[in-house]
Amino acid sequence: MIAYFVACYPNFEKSLEIIKKSIDAGVNICEIGFPTQEASGEGIVIKNAHDHCLQRNVTLKDTIKLAKAVRNYNNDVGIILMGYMSNIFKYPIKNFVSDLASVDVDGCLIVDAPHELREENELRNLMNKKNLSLIKLVAPTTKEERLKKLSNLFSGWVYSLNFSGISGSKSANLEDVKNMIKKIKTYTDLPVCSGFGIKTPGDAKKMTQTGCDGVIVGSSIVEYIGKNLNDTKLPKNVGNIIKTFVEELK
Amino acid sequence: MSTEKIKNSLKTGSDKDGYFGEYGGIAAGENLMNNLEELKKAFEDAIKDKKFLDEFAYYCKHWIGRPSPIYFAERITKKIGGAKIYFKQEHLNHTGSHKPTNTLFQVLLAKRMGKKKIICESGAGQHWSAAAATAAKFGMPIVGVMGKIDCARVNQNLIKAKHYGGKLKIVEGSLREAITAAIKEWSNNPDYYYLIGSTCSSSPFVDIVRYAQSIIGKEMREQFMELEGKLPNEIIACAGAGSNFTGSIFEFLDEPEIKKVVVEAEETAALTNGTKGIQQGMVTKFLQSDDGSKSLGGSSLGAGIMYYGISPQLAHLKDIGAIEASAASDKELLETYKLVAQNEGIGISFEPAAAVTEALKRAKGKPKDYIICATACGRVEKDLDVIERLIGKDFE
Repeated sequence: MIAYFVACYPNFEKSLEIIKKSIDAGVNICEIGFPTQEASGEGIVIKNAHDHCLQRNVTLKDTIKLAKAVRNYNNDVGIILMGYMSNIFKYPIKNFVSDLASVDVDGCLIVDAPHELREENELRNLMNKKNLSLIKLVAPTTKEERLKKLSNLFSGWVYSLNFSGISGSKSANLEDVKNMIKKIKTYTDLPVCSGFGIKTPGDAKKMTQTGCDGVIVGSSIVEYIGKNLNDTKLPKNVGNIIKTFVEELK
Repeated sequence: MSTEKIKNSLKTGSDKDGYFGEYGGIAAGENLMNNLEELKKAFEDAIKDKKFLDEFAYYCKHWIGRPSPIYFAERITKKIGGAKIYFKQEHLNHTGSHKPTNTLFQVLLAKRMGKKKIICESGAGQHWSAAAATAAKFGMPIVGVMGKIDCARVNQNLIKAKHYGGKLKIVEGSLREAITAAIKEWSNNPDYYYLIGSTCSSSPFVDIVRYAQSIIGKEMREQFMELEGKLPNEIIACAGAGSNFTGSIFEFLDEPEIKKVVVEAEETAALTNGTKGIQQGMVTKFLQSDDGSKSLGGSSLGAGIMYYGISPQLAHLKDIGAIEASAASDKELLETYKLVAQNEGIGISFEPAAAVTEALKRAKGKPKDYIICATACGRVEKDLDVIERLIGKDFE
């Protein structure tokens, strides 16, 4: 199970506690999103969480600090950062990669960086040198010819988008997902994980029938956090939610 | 002047990766990549199709009313004392701005691609009213996205677009937020045609809008040769993202003796005060926080020039010294509007008032045979309420 968290949402300490409890509950990979204003691939839930953090001046540096604390807590869990090119470009790219390596995360996933973007090439080359994975996405709109090209760039695992659209906006169609996973698997031996539209443990269980190697849950966790920002038991409760997902995926 | 003969011509589109020098490119999500590839191919095919281009030319003439005339602003010229000031009268086009040339081109392209529905964003609503009119003319449903700040001040365009059948979605903010929201709509509905209004976002949008709008400069060449027997010494136009300016100067890019001056709103002058970054689907100059997580910039009266980024092609042209950049304040926009209205009987909107402001500054003291052409890219209707509220008493 892969869970998406917005870095420092609602704040650094609570965010760290939430992630720790999620690891205890059995999450395999933590996707930590760094906040940015545009967030052009995000639906309203995740966008609001980004805005909450930006108002509190959370930066990519804070996100890396959080990732470091997560790594210190657990040596085995997968950690990837997720976000947009704007912040990485300004970091700048070279320092971003060396900081990623120094806090021992596994890689990152950039929503708005197709391989046609020269700055993506620069990032990917530097990451490859440090044995970090730049996770690539495949969408239902990705044509076979492009998938073939992309498969040469896959690293770590593949993020398969269950529908074309922004996060949290639609539900996944099981048959479509099944076909897509099958198609991707003809081009790669890497794990293919399925994301978007997985809202309940029941959704996650259904996804296991598609042949995917993992499921990504984002908006529904972020939404729960957003509705319970001041609850002192928030980290524990998120852990319990994650547990219900993990149980279904066993 | 033929492009083929010129070595290192600047009159080219983006390179194979969609860049202009170090700016441009494609910074889009994977689910839009197929759309962008499809659009690029359709655009490249269409501009080789004589029938398509003839249809575009036909409606430019008969539906938009092109060519828009050039006009010698004689009384202002006398008042300033110096260079001859001309306006390229884009505000006389159907719907009242330079925008319908682009919407016409792209709706024809959408039709050619077999698209059934259109979405677009807008800042000042000039693109929105032009897009809605064009969609109505070709019988296509259209959805627009605008920021709340802009909707509150350009009501005339909203009414016009509604009457043409456009359905508007309103989001918080202004043009920046409208572009992001429109891209999200497109992500959710990849079968739509995304009709972008300016020379921004991912490749090939910058090339498509520039192609359509470069008709402005082509007309200027013919008109100046006919009326003055020579070309202007300077061409000045305002820019939000840059379609009006790019359209005005592209024709003359291989003639460095003609000065080309872009005028931004003082509060959002990305070309002058911005830093390189990657947002809104492109690499270009933005007014942004040091860490790239937030946009910066204030508010301008000119809704259409209030944009925190700039066309990547213009960022490149400025870097290599092919264009100059300037900016105008709200106070200047109001003063220039008044001057033009009272002396020439022409009501220009706030955006071209930025270009004319710069033209006035540069004309002063120049020789009498020196020609400056400012593109008047919009008419005042949408701004009348704001002007009346701010300086209405000046006219009593």
